[in-house]
Amino acid sequence: MPDSLLAQARAGDRSAFAALVRAHQGSVFSIGLRMLSRRDAAEDLAQDVFLQLYRKLDSIESLEHLGFWLRRVAANLAIDWLRRLPYSATRPLDEGAEVAAPQAEEDPLMSRELLRLLGELPPHPRAVMLLRYQEDRDVAEIAATLDMPVNTVKSHIKRSLTALRGRMIGAKLVDCEELP
Amino acid sequence: MNEDPANHFEDELRRRLRPVNAPEGFTDRLMAALPAQQKPVVVPFTPRVRPSSHPVGIPAALAASLLVAVLFGVRVADHRALVAEQTEQRKGLEASRKLMQALHVTSQKLDLAFEAVNNPPTAGDEENRS
Repeated sequence: MPDSLLAQARAGDRSAFAALVRAHQGSVFSIGLRMLSRRDAAEDLAQDVFLQLYRKLDSIESLEHLGFWLRRVAANLAIDWLRRLPYSATRPLDEGAEVAAPQAEEDPLMSRELLRLLGELPPHPRAVMLLRYQEDRDVAEIAATLDMPVNTVKSHIKRSLTALRGRMIGAKLVDCEELP
Repeated sequence: MNEDPANHFEDELRRRLRPVNAPEGFTDRLMAALPAQQKPVVVPFTPRVRPSSHPVGIPAALAASLLVAVLFGVRVADHRALVAEQTEQRKGLEASRKLMQALHVTSQKLDLAFEAVNNPPTAGDEENRS
C-alpha cells in the first residue's frame, strides 16, 4: 500500500480513505469480534474506530503509524465497552461467529474451543493475547498499545498461555506431550 | 525433529487467530456513514444584527441605576442640610427672643430703681401709709 494513499485520504479523497479501510478492516473487525464475542458489536466497534480515524486523519503520520493507531483504538475501545457492558451481554463466540477461511488440516472443534476459552480471559489479558498472536506484535509494541508495562504484558502472555493450554488439555483437544 | 512444545502451541494460536474478514459491505456502510465533508467549511464573517433582548442593555441599565442612586443621595443630603439649617435658625430666633425678654425685664427693673432713687417717698406719704 503506497504512502501516497494516506496523503490522498488526508486531502479529502474518499476513495483513498475507502482503500485504507479495506486494507485494515479485517484486523480491526477481528479484534472487536474476539474481544466482544459478538459479530454485531464487533461491526459497531469497527465502524466507530474508522469514523474516529476519519476525524483524526491529520494526526496520522505514516502507514505504520496508521496500523498502530487502529490497533490501539480498537483494543482500548473494546476493553472500555466490556467494562460498561453487563456480563450477560457478552458470551463466548456462538455459531457462525467465526468466518476465517478454514485450512484443510485444521480441526474446527479445536478452533472453536480455543476462541471460547480466549473469550473467557479478562479483557486486558485477552487484548494482549490478540495483539500477540492475531496481530503478531512484539511485547514492547503491545505495552505501548495498551499503556501497560512490558513486564505486565509478559506476565499476561505467560499466564494466559498456561491457562489456555491447561483447558485445552482438560478438553482433550491438545496432547499432554505438548506440555513443556 | 525436536520441536519445542511451547512454541508449537504458540504457532497453533497464531494459525487459529488469523484475522477474519469483515462482514460483506462493511466498507460501503462505513462510507455512507461518513460526514459529507471532511474539512471544515470556512464561512465568511457577517455581523449579525443584535436582537433587542441582547445583554448590551444591561450595562446601560446599571449605569442609569447608579446615576439615579447618586442623584437621590445628593438630594437626601441637601434635604438633611436644609432641615439642620432651619433648626439652627429656629434655635437662634428663640435665643434672640429670650434675650430680648430678659433685657426688657431688666430695663423695667432699672426704671423702678431709678425712680426710687430720684423720687424718694415724703413724710406725709409715710404717715398716710401708716
